[in-house]
Formats: sequence, C-alpha cells, structure tokens
Amino acid sequence: MHLNRLTIYGFGHFHDRTFDLTAGLNYLLGANEAGKSTLTQFITAIFFGFPTKKHPALRYEPLDGSRFGGEIAFTQAGVDYLVSRTDGPHGGKVTLHDTTHDLALPAANLKRLLAPVDAQLFTSVYAINEPRLGTVFAASKQELIDRLRHVGAVGSDFWLQQAQHLEQAAETQYKPQGRNPLLNQQLRDHRELTAKLAKADAAYETYWQLLQQQQTLRNTQTATQQTLTHQRAVTEQVTQQAALWATYTEWQRLGSDEQAAVSGFTADDATRLEQLRGQVSASNQTLAQDQQHLQDLQQDAQLPPLFQAYLPVASQVDPLLMQLPEMTQTANEQQQLAASQQDLEARSAALEHQYAINGQMPRPFSLATTQQVTALQERLTAANQKRRRLQQQLNQLNERFQQQQPSRRQQRNPLADKQIIWLAIGLVVLVGSMFLPGTWFKLVGALLGVAIGYYGVFLVDSSTPASRELETLTADIRDSQAQLREGGQLVDDLNNQLDTIATAHGLGDLPVDQWSAAQGAIGEWEQLTRQLEDTGSRLAKAQQTVTTYLTQVTQALPTLTGEDLATIAPQLTQLQTLKQSLQHQEGDLATATARLKADQAAVDTARQQLNTFLSTRNLRSVAAFYQRYQAQRERTNRQQQRAALAEQLGDNLAALQQFANHAALTDQLAQAQAQQAATQQRLDQTTTQLATLAGQLAHLTASGTQATLRQKLANLETQMIATTQDWLVKRLTSQWIAATLAAASGDRLPQIVAQASNYYGKLTENRYTEIELTATTLRVRRAAGDWRDVSQLSRGTAEQLDLAVKLAFAVVLNQQVTMPLVIDDGFVNFDAQRRQAAYALLAEISQTLQVIFLTADPAVEQLAAGNLIRLHE
Amino acid sequence: MKFIHAADLHLDSPFLGLTGLPNSLLADVRQSTFTAATKIFDQALAQQVDFVLLAGDLFDRAEQSVAAQAYLFQQFDRLNQAQIPVIVSFGNHDYLADQHQTVAYPANVTVLGSTVTTKTLTLRDGETVAISGFSYPQRWVTSDPLPDFPAHAATDWHIGMLHGAVATGSADHYAPFTVADLLGKRYDYWALGHIHHRQLLNQEPPILYAGNTQGRAINETGEKGAYLVTSDHGQLHPQFFETAAVDWATATLDASGVTDLTALGTQLTTWLTAHPAPRPTLTALTVTHLALTASDLASLRQGDWLQLYLRTHARQLKAAQRYLVALTPAVASQPLAAPQLDQQYWDQGAQTVFTSENLQATFGKLAQEPVLADWFGQKTVSTTLQQQAEQILAELMGEEDHDAS
Repeated sequence: MHLNRLTIYGFGHFHDRTFDLTAGLNYLLGANEAGKSTLTQFITAIFFGFPTKKHPALRYEPLDGSRFGGEIAFTQAGVDYLVSRTDGPHGGKVTLHDTTHDLALPAANLKRLLAPVDAQLFTSVYAINEPRLGTVFAASKQELIDRLRHVGAVGSDFWLQQAQHLEQAAETQYKPQGRNPLLNQQLRDHRELTAKLAKADAAYETYWQLLQQQQTLRNTQTATQQTLTHQRAVTEQVTQQAALWATYTEWQRLGSDEQAAVSGFTADDATRLEQLRGQVSASNQTLAQDQQHLQDLQQDAQLPPLFQAYLPVASQVDPLLMQLPEMTQTANEQQQLAASQQDLEARSAALEHQYAINGQMPRPFSLATTQQVTALQERLTAANQKRRRLQQQLNQLNERFQQQQPSRRQQRNPLADKQIIWLAIGLVVLVGSMFLPGTWFKLVGALLGVAIGYYGVFLVDSSTPASRELETLTADIRDSQAQLREGGQLVDDLNNQLDTIATAHGLGDLPVDQWSAAQGAIGEWEQLTRQLEDTGSRLAKAQQTVTTYLTQVTQALPTLTGEDLATIAPQLTQLQTLKQSLQHQEGDLATATARLKADQAAVDTARQQLNTFLSTRNLRSVAAFYQRYQAQRERTNRQQQRAALAEQLGDNLAALQQFANHAALTDQLAQAQAQQAATQQRLDQTTTQLATLAGQLAHLTASGTQATLRQKLANLETQMIATTQDWLVKRLTSQWIAATLAAASGDRLPQIVAQASNYYGKLTENRYTEIELTATTLRVRRAAGDWRDVSQLSRGTAEQLDLAVKLAFAVVLNQQVTMPLVIDDGFVNFDAQRRQAAYALLAEISQTLQVIFLTADPAVEQLAAGNLIRLHE
Repeated sequence: MKFIHAADLHLDSPFLGLTGLPNSLLADVRQSTFTAATKIFDQALAQQVDFVLLAGDLFDRAEQSVAAQAYLFQQFDRLNQAQIPVIVSFGNHDYLADQHQTVAYPANVTVLGSTVTTKTLTLRDGETVAISGFSYPQRWVTSDPLPDFPAHAATDWHIGMLHGAVATGSADHYAPFTVADLLGKRYDYWALGHIHHRQLLNQEPPILYAGNTQGRAINETGEKGAYLVTSDHGQLHPQFFETAAVDWATATLDASGVTDLTALGTQLTTWLTAHPAPRPTLTALTVTHLALTASDLASLRQGDWLQLYLRTHARQLKAAQRYLVALTPAVASQPLAAPQLDQQYWDQGAQTVFTSENLQATFGKLAQEPVLADWFGQKTVSTTLQQQAEQILAELMGEEDHDAS
C-alpha cells in the first residue's frame, strides 16, 4: 500500500493543504513546529480514527475553526481508494470511495483494507519517532520481548492483551502465594471444613465407644438386675421374718409352760358330768312336783254344800242324774216345738185371711166336682169362643152388607123388566115367519119366534148375580144371629151350673179362674191345721215330761225348788263331775305316794353316780372339776394356737430359730436392706448412665453435623474443582496464546533478526554484527565477537537497534502487509555518519515500501533520491 | 425362596457436584441414601423374604458416618424382630476393619469374613440355601477371588455374593473376575455389587449387579434400586424395584432460534413444564444450537445466569420436580481461525501447552491438594481443559473478528 495524496481540511495548524506523495521515498522537510508531528498524527487519525475528546491534545482540532478532518488517497493492491474522515462520533465520520471503480464503500471496509494493521501496530512499528524509540529501553525486557513478539506476529497485540487479561483473571482466581483469590479462599475454607469434619468425625470413635459402653452397661444392668431380684427376695424374706417375730415370740411363749396332759377332763367328760348333774336336778324336780301334786290332792278333799246335800239322797238322785241329758234334750225339743207351732199358726192365719169368708174356709171339691167344674169350664170357654167367632162373623157380614147396600138398585139387570118386549118380538117373528115362502122357512121362523118369546119370558132372569149375593148375605146374617142367641143360652146355662157348685162349697164370689189356686190353699190349710194339732200334742207331752222330772228333782233336792231346768242342769252336771272326781281321787293319792318313793330313789341314784364321777377324779366338787377342765381346755387351746402359729410361721420358723434374739434379726434385716439399697443404687446408676448414653448416642446420631459438613465439603470441593478448572483453562489459554504467538513469530523472527542484524550492521558501520533474540534474551554481538546486553548499549546505539528491528520487521512483513513507514525525526540521537547510513538504508528500503520521512534536517535536500516536500511552501 | 439382593447403599455419602441446592431439596438429598435403603428393608418386611443379601458398600468407612452406623443397627434390628437373616459382604468402601468388632450387629446379621465363607440357611419351607462370599479386608482386593469359592454345596440352592468388577487385565483393584469363572461354579445366583449401574451379566443363572440404591452424582442417572428374587420351578427370577428418593438425569434442550438469555429462560420454562419428573430429579441440561453473544455465553458458562434462573423460577422447578445442577451450552467445535494468525500456529501452540509436563507444571502446588489432585488425575481432564480453552479462544476470535471488521 502506498499513499498518494494527503488532503487536510483542518488539522492542527494546517487547513486546506494538499501533499502529493510518491510510492517510494518522500522527504517532508520542515523546521520545528512546521507540523511534522501533526502530519504523522493526521495519517494515523484518518486511518484509525480521532482520539476521544478526553485527550484534546492528541486530537489536533483546527485552531482557526475550519472543518476538522481530511482525506487520504491511497493505492492498495492496484486499486485506488479515497478515505475521508470528519468530526463525528466514535472516532469521526468516515467515507470510503473506490476511485478506480468509482464505488462508494461502507466505512467498515476501511478496517478490512488496513488489516491486519491497527492503530497500535501502526504507532508502534510503522510510525517511528524519537520518543518512541526511546521508550523501548525504559520498559522491561519482557515488554521488549512482547513488543518484539508483537512485532513478530501480526495482530498479536490483541492476543497479547487477551492473554494478559486471562492472566489477570486467573490471578483473581488463584495465586500460589495469595490470600484473597477465590481458590485460595476456597482452599482455606476447605482446610477449615476438613478440620471441622475431622472434629465431627471424632464423633465416630465416640459413637463406637459409646456403643461399646452401652453394651457393657447393658450386661452390667442385666447382672445387677438379677442380683437385685435375688436380694429383694432375701430382704423380703427377712422382712417377713421380722414381721413374724411377734408371732414367733408368741409361739415360744405358748411352748414355755408345757404341762403333762391329764385324762378324764375332756369335753366328753364334761358332757358326762353335765348329764349326771342334769339327772340329779331332774329327779329332784320330779320329786318336788310330785310332792306338790300330793298336797294339791289333799287340799281338794274339801266339798261344796250341794254335794253334801246330795250325799244322803245319792241313790234317789243318781237315776235323775242319769236322765239329765235326756231331759235337757227334751227341754230343747220343747222349745223347738213351740217355735214350730208359732210358725204354723202364722201360716194358717195368712191362708185364712186370704180365703176365709165370714170366718169360714171354703170346702174343698170332691174329685167328681173337680172334674165337673173342669168340664163346665172347658165348655164355657168353648161356648164363649164360639160366640166371639160368631160375633166376628156377624160383624163381617154386617160390614159386607153395608158395603153392598148402596149399589143394589143400579145393579139390577136391565133386561129383567123387558119380558113384554121379548114376547112382542117373538110374536112379530112368528107372525112374520108366516109370511115367508116355503114351509120350511115358515116353520123355522115360527120356531124362531117361539124361541125368542120363550127366552124373553123364561130364560132371561130378572135377578143379577149381585142381588143374589145380597140375598145370601142376609140369610147368613140371620143364621148367625140365630146361632148367637143359641150360644148365649148355653153360656148362661153353664154359668148357672157353676154358681150352683160355688154356693154348695162356700166359694162365694170368688171368680172361677181362681178356684184352682183356692183349692191348693185349702189343701195346705188343712194340712197345717193337722200339723198344729200334732205339734200341740207333742209339746204338751214334753212339757209333761220336764215338769215330772223337775218335780222329782225338787222332791229329792229341796234346795233347788222353784228353779227351772236351765238353772238346775249345770248344778246337776257339776254335781255329777264332782262325784266322778271324788271317785278318781282315791286312786291318785295312792299313785302320788308311790311316785314320791320312786322319785326319792332316782334322786339318790343320781347323786351316787355324780359322787362316783367326782371321786374317780379325786375331786370334791363340780366346781373343782370345772376348774381343772378349764385349765385343760386352755392348754389345748394354747397348743392349737401354737400349731396355728407354727403353720403361720411355716418355713420361717426354722429360720427364726436361728436368731438368738430380735436384735440379731433386725441386724440381718438392716444388712439385707442396705445391700439391696446398694444394689438398687448401682442399678439406678447404670440405668442413668444408660439413659445418658442413649441421649448421647441419639444426639450423635441425630446431630447431622457430619452429614452437613460432608455435604458442604463435597459442595465446596465441587466449587474448588470448578474454580481450579476455570483457573487452569485461563492459564492454559493464556499460555496457548503466548505459544501460538511464539510459533507465529517464531517463523518470521529468524528472518527479522537476520534482516535486523544486517540493518544494524549498516547503521553502526558494522560495529555490531549480530542480534540474538530468544524468548527471554535480547543481546547484540559486537564485531569483535563479544556479546552486549541491551542495557549496556548507548542510547543512540539502542535506538539504532530498535530502528533496525522495526525496519527489518516492516520489510519482512511486507510480504503480507504493506504499510507506509512514517518516520518523524527519528534520528536525532544519531551521529552524522550513522544518520547518513540511516538515510542510505531508508533509500534502500523505499525500493520495497513507501517511506515518508519527516525531518528538520536540511541535509536531506542534498540527497539524490526521493520526493522532497517542504512544509513551509 | 424369596430374597432381596441389594448393594452399594452408600449410606450418608454426600452428593457430588452440587452447589446452592434449595434447603428443602437439600434435606431430601441428605436423607436420600437412607430413604432408599429404608425402601429395601420395608420391602423385605412387606414381602416377608427369607433373607436379605447386601453385596458391599453399605457405607463409606472413610466417611466415618455415625448416622450410617446407627441406621444400620436400627434397620438390622427391625429385620431381626421379623426374624429375617441379613447376609453382608463388605466391599471396597466399607471394608472389614477390626477396630469395632466388639459391638456386634443383631443376631440375624451375618458378616462374611475376609476369606470366602459359606453361610447355610434353612428356610421356613424347609429348603436349604448356601451363600458364599467374603468381605474386603482393605480397600483393594487385587487377586481373583473365584478359586476360593466352593463348588455348589449339597443344598437346594447356592448363591454367590461378590463385590467386584470384571477383570480388564490391568489396574484391577476390585476382586477381578470373569463371567465364565462365575458360571463355572454352577451356582444358582450371583449377587454382585460395586458397579453402580445395574446390569445383567448372565441371564440363566442370573448374574447381576443390583446397582446402587440411590444415585449420588450426575453420572449415576437412571432407575436405582434393588432386586427381589423369587424361586419358581427351580429357577430364580430377579425382579427390579426402585428405591431412589432423588433421581439424577441428563437432558438436552434444543434452543434453535434462541438468541438471547430471556428467550432461553422462556424456552427452559417451557421445557420444564413439558418434562415434569416423577420424583425430585437433579437434572444436568445441555443446550444445543444456541446462538448467543459471547458475553451471554460467558454468563451462561460461569453459571451466573443459571443461579438467577433457579432463584426466580423456584415455583416452576418445584412443579416439575426438577432442579438444574448444570446448564451447559454445547458449542459445535470449529477450527480455530484467527484472521491474523494461521491455524498451524495455534496447533503448534496447543502442542507445546497441552503436554502433561506443562499441565503438571501449571497445576503446580495445587497438586498438593488431594481433592484437586484426584480431579486432576482423571483422564478426561486435559481434554476438557483443552476444549474449554478452545471455546474461550473461539469466543475471543469472534470478538477479535468483530473488532477487526
């Protein structure tokens, strides 16, 4: 590429200036402040953009207010372009024009046309000025090498920058010695967490220990529990024994006054004694009773006055006494008869009242009379019935007759009175027939006339059926009336007969229909009358008997005179009882005396037996027996009690007998209790420990610290690995970029170094012959053969080295990149000889690429080659 | 005969690769290994099985978890009360260590010894079963344990228990065996443990890994559980049942046409609504066909955006029972093409940078951190690092390109 024309609209102190350039070497001569640096900046600005307004000094805005910017015409790969840039955003407004084909191109194409050269590369390699050459050595060796690498590989600046960014970013993630980078922090966290986890993991050992302890303790617990159970049993036994001590003492006491058993004082013996005593008292009692009985009998020998009256007439009274029950009965009967007589009288009086006429009771009918009356009555009834029937018939007939009567006249036959007419007609017909021709006809007509006359006189009856009936009725009525009258006579006859009978029997006016009942009453009355008579006779007889008896009694016993039978009878009965008891008394006394004797004997026997009973037992009294018996019984009771106690004590008895006294037992109990308490305490302790252990185990199990920490650690490790990976990738990418740049530059570097060595030799009049550039070193070889470090070079020589390298780079790169070389007063630190050498070198280089050399050195005017432009023109 | 074959309970082991879980989920996650194991023991009780086989890695001895131990005591006691025997062979994580042998598990638990032991059980129905196996005496068992296993015993059934991995020929630390050798023993069943992904090595007789009961990292996806094995006419039929309380899953979200993060959020919410999980599921989502700007992509990659999304969409996540543990934008690998630098230089650079020496040197002192060293030791790490570096470069190139144009 080469620039053909620079057109400045307004830039620095230039305005509306045009510089025509040639493809080869161009000298732009101007004194200081002529605008050399401005031009350099102009080319840079047009191609790569105006600096931002933050750096006004670099913008070179026109001082006179003319339009900021300009244009450059250049040729690239045989095509002419015109690029213009005026003030605007983002580095200015760019227009691009393909003048060869007269095409307006998008501004973006400019970059592509210039590629791979950018502002950075252009300013660092192609735009050479003294200060820039100087800065080379102010920088570190690494920077120089980077620069050289930058120089060595096209576009490497971007990559170097990226590599640097990556390194920086990597450093924020991890620095082997750092503290704050992410991975360092994470590593630190990791160590802390690991330590924590280790601490938590200690729980694992603790867990097993606890588990072991738990198992041991459980065993202990079981053993202790068994011991405790045993000791509890022991304690319980001893406690029981202690509780039984009183019983035991009692048992001992009961056993202490042991006596020999004596026979003859058993319960049976006592019973026997009681029996004997019972016998004694019973026989005594019988004796006393019998004595009393005897006394009673002797007292009863006193007699009442009636009995004394009786005694002389006993033979006379005795039969009467025998008759007494009979008499009593007779008296009773007498009373009954009296009652019966009264009743009968009342009934006959009632009947008399009903039927008697003038105090005379009617006479009863004989059987014949009864039959006659009955027959009369029947006939009377029949006659009456017939009369009623006839009467009814008559009434009916009368009624019918009444009904028929009014219609009698109308119902007469109309033909009955026409006998004359009928005769006349018959005569007419007879006569008429005579006029008929023929005998036969005359005969027949005559016969007919006779017949009609006969009919009229004889056959036609005047009486109609109705009149005939009326006549019958009248006959019937007359008949019935006759019969009625006949019946009436019969009834009267019958009634007369009956009245005759009534009068004969004194029935008076009693209606005939009551005759039958009256006959019954008459029969009854007659019977009652007979009974009355009978009863009266019996009563009289009984009264006779009783009176006779009383008379006899009164005769025998005059004290009873004037009293009736009812009063006498009990006195007689008493008398009789007394008489009988007196007869018994004789026997009773004898018996009583005999019994007294027997009783006395029984009493004696009983006493004897009792005494024997007592004497066999060496006893004087019953009380003594009972005393002994009581003693004996108490002893038996005690023995039973003792046996009961022994049973109650059971197995403990033997155990209790081991103890000397209560204190020993108490001691033993206290001991057992103490042991039990101790064991219990041990068990409690174990249980508590187990509970604590369980708590600790539960805590350990449930804490989740381990798991949490472990998961945290796992997460952290994930993050760490991610960070590390990221870090490594950045580092490696950075390395990769560096390696790639090295590789890329590595190809050209030998060429560049060789070319640079060649140029450096030319620039230093061959004082230095060789440049060595490696990744880490940059040194030069003197013609004498020794090596010099860059730091050992003089300023001028160092600048010459940089110039040589840059020129070499531009030349070598010219195969790919063609960019004009703009040198702005680059050789001020060169001596005249070396400056001439530099000019010569530029002329040589301008054969292959455009060189724009801006200088204040008028010596250039003398130079043969090149296009000279004076800035002041 | 009916029994349960489970393995790799990994009780109380932490979940890996999780940060910033919500508390509610964290509690579930922390309990999940227990919850899963409880399902096994519940199943044992519900089915009234004849015995339970636990083929190793019940817990991680190194974790020294009190909770895990207490839990085992408690659960074993439950089975003890139901008179269900438990046969345990410890594996590489819960290897037999003798320091705590004094405190024994309940009487129903048989812990197989460090050499192959055979336990014979007589079942309720009178059948007899011999169970042979061993516990790891330490972390590694490098020798083939098969020669120590006895021939089929004179019992009705013979079951082998083995915690280990099929021999690969090198670096076999976990009782290496071959399926042919297992078959050679003519057992009726091989209850295997150690591999967390359940798999059937042989159909008849069944030789199978029960897998772990609860996934604990994103590479342990899928159904997790144990086997209920029942006998039928002289054959054993394993039947899988699920136990996991929390699932892990990977999924891909096609985000074609999504050009900004807001749209991605909408798309993600739509996806969540369309893909509810049956139980809490920790999901790692890969987003394909993203066309985001570099800064958006960086935000996505650093996880800032996901964290914000998780915070603001808690309700939708809860409804879908999903929690996103990662959201990875898949960027199609493309050749690096820096305009100013030739591909060959990048390749040369990569060759000098991604050497194990340089990686080791760069890793530097971090190698002293065991966690990081373990991670760094993984084979895939260098590849991952290079891929990520490439992504960064690709993004930078885009930027550079953008600047240049």
